[in-house]
Amino acid sequence: MKQNNMLAMILAGGRGSRLHELTNKVAKPAVAYGGKYKIIDFPLSNCANSGVDVVGVLTQYESVLLNSYVAGGSSWGLDARDSGVFVLPPREKADANLNVYRGTADAISQNIDFVDSYDPEYILILSGDHIYKMNYAKMLQYHKENNADATIAVIEVPMKEASRFGIMNTDTETGQIVEFEEKPEHPKSNLASMGIYIFNWKPLRKMLVADMKNDESNHDFGKDIIPTMLNEGKRLFAYKFKGYWKDVGTIDSLWEANMDLLDPKNGLDLDDRTWKIYTEDIPTFPQYISEDADVKNAYITQGCVVEGEVRNSVLFTGAKVGEGAKVYDSVLMPGASVAPGAVLNRVIIADNVKIGNQAVVGSKDSEHIELVSKNVKGVE
Amino acid sequence: MIMARALGIISFSENHVWVDGLEDHRSIAAFTFLGRYRVVDFPISNMSNSGIDRIQVYIRSSPQSLVGHIGTGRHFNINSKSGYVRMMFTESLQEHDYYNTDVKAYYSNLEHIENTSNEYVVIAPGYMVYTEDFDALLKNHIESEADITVLYHSVDNAKEAYQSCFCLNLNRQKGVESIEQNNGKVKNRNISMDTYVMRKDLFVDLLKEAKKTSSMYTLRMIINDKCSELDVRGVAHRGFFAPFTDFKAYYDGNMALADLKTAQNLFNASWPIYTRTSDSCPTQYSDTAVVKKSFLANGCKVDGTVENSVVGRDCVIKPGAVVKNCILLTNVTIGEGVHIEGQVVDKNAKITKVKEILADPEHPGYVHRSDLV
Repeated sequence: MKQNNMLAMILAGGRGSRLHELTNKVAKPAVAYGGKYKIIDFPLSNCANSGVDVVGVLTQYESVLLNSYVAGGSSWGLDARDSGVFVLPPREKADANLNVYRGTADAISQNIDFVDSYDPEYILILSGDHIYKMNYAKMLQYHKENNADATIAVIEVPMKEASRFGIMNTDTETGQIVEFEEKPEHPKSNLASMGIYIFNWKPLRKMLVADMKNDESNHDFGKDIIPTMLNEGKRLFAYKFKGYWKDVGTIDSLWEANMDLLDPKNGLDLDDRTWKIYTEDIPTFPQYISEDADVKNAYITQGCVVEGEVRNSVLFTGAKVGEGAKVYDSVLMPGASVAPGAVLNRVIIADNVKIGNQAVVGSKDSEHIELVSKNVKGVE
Repeated sequence: MIMARALGIISFSENHVWVDGLEDHRSIAAFTFLGRYRVVDFPISNMSNSGIDRIQVYIRSSPQSLVGHIGTGRHFNINSKSGYVRMMFTESLQEHDYYNTDVKAYYSNLEHIENTSNEYVVIAPGYMVYTEDFDALLKNHIESEADITVLYHSVDNAKEAYQSCFCLNLNRQKGVESIEQNNGKVKNRNISMDTYVMRKDLFVDLLKEAKKTSSMYTLRMIINDKCSELDVRGVAHRGFFAPFTDFKAYYDGNMALADLKTAQNLFNASWPIYTRTSDSCPTQYSDTAVVKKSFLANGCKVDGTVENSVVGRDCVIKPGAVVKNCILLTNVTIGEGVHIEGQVVDKNAKITKVKEILADPEHPGYVHRSDLV
């Protein structure tokens, strides 16, 4: 906490139902991405690199997997004396029946005691399911320079897609937010909220206490807290973010986000040594490419063994491609294995799923990406 | 968890051992192995997996690289309160110093050895790669009622290889009659793996006796002297074994694993080899990449051809480059159109101007650390 007096809370609650079977066992932020990462590595690494060293991770469900994944915070270097990563599921309290987070704001409200124990000046609210690199210290500086009550990170989206987002209408000179519209039919601006907020803690705390008692409220930052602040004439500013940003809410967008990595000029640049994305360290041997393998345009990590053909694909930790197998335009999640002779086109093979001998999975002409989450039998 | 019975000691090599080139820059224990590991990861992981949670790593020279790698030791899966991975220094850290023996190093840290509650010691070399269950070896040692157990590996190519290693002369009951240097005259030999199990009090007695005998004595020498007096027993090791006691041995030890079956023999999911992560991103293969029979670490960019090679972390193989029968250490760049064969290319080297460096795998070449070629 000593670095910048800002504590971060990551909203990692959603089960991510549009990601189907991938989130049956794990919360969406724990879904694998980019060969060796999990989605939550991005906000956690951004925090570590920005000098934000106390992070609460808010989960709607008691998530043993997510809990053990972030436990200790040592994977991101957030394990110094003043640092820490804490998983905070809803807690049943004697005075109220609070066993679920009723909204994004409620998730913070139910953990006021946790935040208070660190006595921060600022609180950073993050979403657990976005892939991007961002320096929150710069955003905080902007927040302070504007003497703002709240600062919201925004990204320019194509005007014709703006109606899918929460849109900030700003004073173009100062960046001050004059109006917030949730999914407007006729958007007046293309600045979409990224769901990243900085608040001054003490005033926010007051608002949250009031919001908890308000039966009319949805207890949501976008629907309740931000509009209330605007109505009260508070100083809200939009912080423009430029760079790679992806919400991986669907199977197609998760596949796309992985495919983006095949372009060496992708804006994410995971090879940037000045802003590393940290992740869990798994003991495996390096990747092995065999005598008969043919690997082109691929993104492959440690523990993989490739004996077949791989084109335009991303292979996660410990994935195996057998002799004569063909893996095209596909994503093999950790431990997925493709037996000899199998052919894959435009699929995501879920963690530890086995594709049998000569099996044919997916199609190169499919409209959507197929998620394969159960073993596929081989051809006898 | 019950308290481990044995204290783990990771030893350094005797001073006749020198690995050309590589050892100018770091101790053998800190050599990169298979692109991802350091040699010392193997003895430490063997101990950690065997439930040994106090591990002392002795350093003869060039400590910097090893100290950086081991750090707090937490990545070796050791409880940092009840156990430790600790680096042990001697007073003089000179190379080629005949007085700078393992016995001297143990002796100057004697209180750290005597003060532990462990009854036994397991001593393993920080300059050889193999996997071994030391807990099973210790049980075997106790049941056998031997004074000292020595691990060995039977080979049939001792004429050409293992030149700086020692051999055990065994009797029919696997009793060790003597330990002698490999003279290269016999092809079938039992190569000593410089790995010993014994009671700690015997170990301390041997140190005292070695010191009394000669100020240049090593543990191997005093054990050899004691072969007739004590019950010294050999136990055969099976599986992958690579001692890095000379340059060719380092090259061959890496290249042997380009064969997947051999590699699978060394790496077993139930016996993880821990190392320090560098958080490199995955490796990128472009449209022009051609990769065959090779191990690659993370963080590489491959646009050229890589064949029968080991490529370390963060290496760049430019379009049209050909890398064959090579070991590239960390962060090496092979420029456009450069063709190299049979080379060990040390950390941070960049080969861009010279377009051809070819050597036969029988006589591999070496490119120095941070060299621009």
